[in-house]
Amino acid sequence: MEYVFWRKEMKKGLSLFIMFCFLGFWSLTFGQEPQKPLHFYNVDTEKKIKGTIQEIIMEPRYKDTSPFLIIRLEEKKTHQKFIVEISPVRFFTHDFHKGEELEVVGSLYSKEGSQNIIARQIRFRGEIIILRDKRGFPAWRGSDMKQKKRRKGKGF
Amino acid sequence: MRKLSIYVFSILFLSVSLKADSFSFSFFQNMTDNIFQNRYSAQDKLSHLGFYIDKDFSKISVFTEGSYSYLFENPSLAYYLQDVGLDYLHPVSDKAAFYFSLIGQGVFYRSDYEDFNSLSLNFLAAFKTYLSQTSILKSNYSLDYRSFRYSLFDFVSQGLSLSFDKYFQTRTTLKSEINWGLKYFLHPYSSQEVILVEDSGGHHSGRRSYLFVPRTQFEGQSIQVFSFNGLIAQGIGGNVGFNISGMKQWYLSGENPFTSVEEFYMVENPSYDRFAWAGYQLGAQITLLIPWNIELKIGYTMADKEFPGVESMNLEEELLGVTREDRRRTFETRLEKNFPRFSLFLSYAYVDNNSNDPFFDWHGNFFSAGIEWNMFFGEKK
Repeated sequence: MEYVFWRKEMKKGLSLFIMFCFLGFWSLTFGQEPQKPLHFYNVDTEKKIKGTIQEIIMEPRYKDTSPFLIIRLEEKKTHQKFIVEISPVRFFTHDFHKGEELEVVGSLYSKEGSQNIIARQIRFRGEIIILRDKRGFPAWRGSDMKQKKRRKGKGF
Repeated sequence: MRKLSIYVFSILFLSVSLKADSFSFSFFQNMTDNIFQNRYSAQDKLSHLGFYIDKDFSKISVFTEGSYSYLFENPSLAYYLQDVGLDYLHPVSDKAAFYFSLIGQGVFYRSDYEDFNSLSLNFLAAFKTYLSQTSILKSNYSLDYRSFRYSLFDFVSQGLSLSFDKYFQTRTTLKSEINWGLKYFLHPYSSQEVILVEDSGGHHSGRRSYLFVPRTQFEGQSIQVFSFNGLIAQGIGGNVGFNISGMKQWYLSGENPFTSVEEFYMVENPSYDRFAWAGYQLGAQITLLIPWNIELKIGYTMADKEFPGVESMNLEEELLGVTREDRRRTFETRLEKNFPRFSLFLSYAYVDNNSNDPFFDWHGNFFSAGIEWNMFFGEKK
């Protein structure tokens, strides 16, 4: 008798738990004004660069958002230097080091005399890491298996 | 109540999806010839359907994730998992940052496993800093609280880790890590506590005739472990990565409170976690980027694990007077192809487990194929 009662309570609990999760999430998302970005990913200025990492920094790139992982990259052929915007730090689960080689596909723009790239895809240590889709939408706005691990703090 | 739940669930689901930054959907089909990972190889197919939604608020990210796993041959083990959480990253300089996350999770099984329905809360604090441009120091603290329907398994655990890595111009990375963990069972055990399986097929159906018999004289209620991990990674050209890793874990205090420890494929078992064993693990993995930008990973792992407090038994379930010890060899390979909006996965693993408990002397093949599809909302910044 007690078991049957508990079972019913557990089912009720499950429903309430799920509803609570969604209601909580819904209430938090309701009424949020979209933020105006400082610059967009422009598919017309895409470029592929292969270079060596010179410096790694964590830096705010957009107002009121988490800091981004930024790489200063020196192109192998031309020795030209680029500032590469990877992704929010908390999204990225790989560790970069100075001297490592990196191939970047991304949107190029100039700012204050320096060449900046918003990375869409990088090739690193035999892996291809997709950071944005072909239209420039960020992959960190969405889950994947790597991100699930990150939520447990493995990747940071 | 069920219809109402589905109705409300669907409405909220759509509402949330449309207001979230993204919605992600995944489907995985798994197949194995040894679901319960023991000598009586039981086949099963497992379908896993999941979704994920997240939203950024300034520097805080809020997310919720749900998944349903269905076992075709053992439907009474099917389960639903739901979690909701938030995380926050706080930079202290351009080379160092703190990361915090708080996650609540509920796991709900069908009849066979209802005792293991649980609610849990996980807190994580992490710190990462570049000591130089070629070396990174990381530190983590985690706190877990888990409450089961059968309160015997309730526990609080905490862990501390410290890792350091260094990259050399030879394209070699060295990494070392130390971990300490403490698991505290919230309820003392008594000799009367025995959980019987609702027998669906007898002893030889692939599971022991009971799950756990808590020890009669379990001194203390905690297990304390310490481990050391090391890794050497080498880059070869732009398309190949190779690494060798090792781990050694020691028991500092306590021992397993159960007389049996079991692992099932894709279904969590509360008797087995990182606190269940002492021993070592060695592994090697190669990552290749093959034509059509397909990522291929091939790995081999060998592990020698002892389960302190767990005595081996013969097939008649009589104690043999020796601590259970398993030697496991695992070969695994995985293919992944990423497209702009979706990813495809294919993996295979072969596991050979030799144990001094004949019930856990087993081998098995594990196949998995999956697709993950992302939808994005909001802006392209």
